[in-house]
Amino acid sequence: MDVREKLNILSAAAKYDVSCSSSGSRRSAPPSGLGDACPAGICHTWSSDGRCVSLLKILLSNACKYDCAYCVNRRSNDVPRATFTPKEVIDLTLEFYRRNYIEGLFLSSAVVGSPDATMERLVRVAKELRRVHRFGGYIHLKSIPGASEALLHEAGLYADRTSVNIEVPSERSLTYLAPEKNYGSVYGPMNYFAERKIEYGGSRGRYTPNFLPAGQSTQMIVGASGESDFQILTLSAGFYKQQRLKRVYFSGYVPVNADKRLPALTTKPPLVREHRLYQADWLMRFYKFDYDEILDAKHPNLDLNLDPKAGWALRHPEFFPVDLQTADYEMILRVPGIGVKSAQLIVSSRRYCKIRLETLKKMGVVLKRAKYFIYHPDIPAGVRQFYPEMIRPLLIAPAKSQQLDLFSPPETLALPAPAPAMPAAGRLPLALPAQPRLLAAG
Amino acid sequence: MSICISYDSTFDGFLSAVFEIYSQHLDVESFVPDRDAGAADDLFQQRFRVEANEDSAMRLRRAIVNYAGEDVLNLLETAFLSEEAGIEMKILAFLRKLFTGDDPNYGKNPASPEMLPLYKLAGSVRHEAGGMLGMVRFSKAPGDFYVAKIEPKYDILLLMESHFSNRFADGNWVIYDAKRRYALLHDKTGKCRVVDVPDDAALVNAINTDGYTRLWQDYYESIAIKERENPKLLRRCLPVRYWKNLPERQAARF
Repeated sequence: MDVREKLNILSAAAKYDVSCSSSGSRRSAPPSGLGDACPAGICHTWSSDGRCVSLLKILLSNACKYDCAYCVNRRSNDVPRATFTPKEVIDLTLEFYRRNYIEGLFLSSAVVGSPDATMERLVRVAKELRRVHRFGGYIHLKSIPGASEALLHEAGLYADRTSVNIEVPSERSLTYLAPEKNYGSVYGPMNYFAERKIEYGGSRGRYTPNFLPAGQSTQMIVGASGESDFQILTLSAGFYKQQRLKRVYFSGYVPVNADKRLPALTTKPPLVREHRLYQADWLMRFYKFDYDEILDAKHPNLDLNLDPKAGWALRHPEFFPVDLQTADYEMILRVPGIGVKSAQLIVSSRRYCKIRLETLKKMGVVLKRAKYFIYHPDIPAGVRQFYPEMIRPLLIAPAKSQQLDLFSPPETLALPAPAPAMPAAGRLPLALPAQPRLLAAG
Repeated sequence: MSICISYDSTFDGFLSAVFEIYSQHLDVESFVPDRDAGAADDLFQQRFRVEANEDSAMRLRRAIVNYAGEDVLNLLETAFLSEEAGIEMKILAFLRKLFTGDDPNYGKNPASPEMLPLYKLAGSVRHEAGGMLGMVRFSKAPGDFYVAKIEPKYDILLLMESHFSNRFADGNWVIYDAKRRYALLHDKTGKCRVVDVPDDAALVNAINTDGYTRLWQDYYESIAIKERENPKLLRRCLPVRYWKNLPERQAARF
């Protein structure tokens, strides 16, 4: 089998891994070496599904010994199998890098033999790239659940980022869909890296090696099992806080296997839900929202018609309207239609001049949404009256009429008898803030 | 009769022109950079040629830094790289108001009516420069020489210099801006220089499709998830005007 065939098989096998970012690491080119890493990350191209391609994302091998229901590479699937030699991966990486096709390498693998043997092969590629070829580009290594700590430590020394996928947002579903896996084996490497990173980061001296400069990420499949959005956000907030993860990715389930434990093959991937989850994720990472503000036990799922920020604003009319001239930066960030850049612009310019409506528009504020939530002398008083049930339909763009489908497949649930969704003990929101005056209709 | 200033299309040339406007009390209506020199003259305007003068440009730079700070000078220079029609008059309007000194905080306010468009424009120039870092595609010519051709909307080649000199410090490579016909030439010793390319036939011919280009095209095809295809999103992230110089998109089109 030649490299071209292997590349086709092993990149197609890796495409369901969402993570492709190359950010978070500042690495200068080693002396007489090739490549560096840019902390902002660089996208090199976008594939036809609109996802950014910045790394050469491949599996070292897809001959997996596990049989996870959701995975295209599972043992019981009849797909062509291939395995790269380390030299082939290194050649591809360096040649692609020289041509500026990629920002670095994303190397994952199916579990072949023992977890240790698999991890050892991944680490060997990274080590050879760094040591022999003096490669300074970005390297993302998958850590294999169950691999020994010595190998993980070595991976941390050569890679910029590692990731281990939580796969499904609850342990119950994970053991149901992937009998050979459990949460313990996933949390093992994650916690190990989190602890080592604190160790290395604590007292950085001149000779402290760079340990996993871009941190860790993880990924979970959305829509293959019955978890609520609130459970998913609770889980990812925990990852950000406890394991100090840099990113949590969501992947809307694309049916690849016919399996009675999973949604039917004709199910469309839940793209809108995935999008809303990412919006909620952004709110947590850049807009200073807590997970239990975005959703709570009473509202366990995100509104598919409305972005989560507008949803929050409609549930909390007591905070609005906001006076942009005097409000805190944090509060301005919470106004629907105002993003991070516009909020910064507003804060840095308002001390020098009054902010006018047309200035807001030129700054990039979406007045169509923001006008209901801000106080401004030029906005007619009628608009300023804040009644969530009136504003909600105005915020939702009129949906295109859709042809009804007579034969749409019935919805399938992953679990035979889904237990009532209860967030883990101790993570329950203590108390809701002030009771909203008017509850959003619907 | 109003005056139309022609200058050599560089930022220093523009600053020298502003210097002349102040020292000779000119009433200027428009600027014509040399790259637009072929356009028809306006009958009712008088042409006035200003040569770039390092000294006066330097004085003006210092004045801008004194009045508004280093960042603003940088921002004006970046916005100028957009080569947008009328950008000179916009910068001039900002400078006029800045130098009146009526409002000591004028230079610090990013949302003043003169500053905001420049601020936004500089933002899009930096955005394109940042995006282009990933979209330069080298192809390997004989003798370990890497050639890339780009056609950016804004004049951003020099903004990318440090990134590529750091990354490919020991390589022979050239990035050619086919729209503006000049190139960045880097040699093995680490020296980087700007060269004009009056005849680009040799450069363009050096761009080829080799085995690794085909592997890259294959990779690009197989990494996409068919069930999630989203042409609208693709066009938003990767505007069609860049496809011409991306081997992976060329293969996708045919």
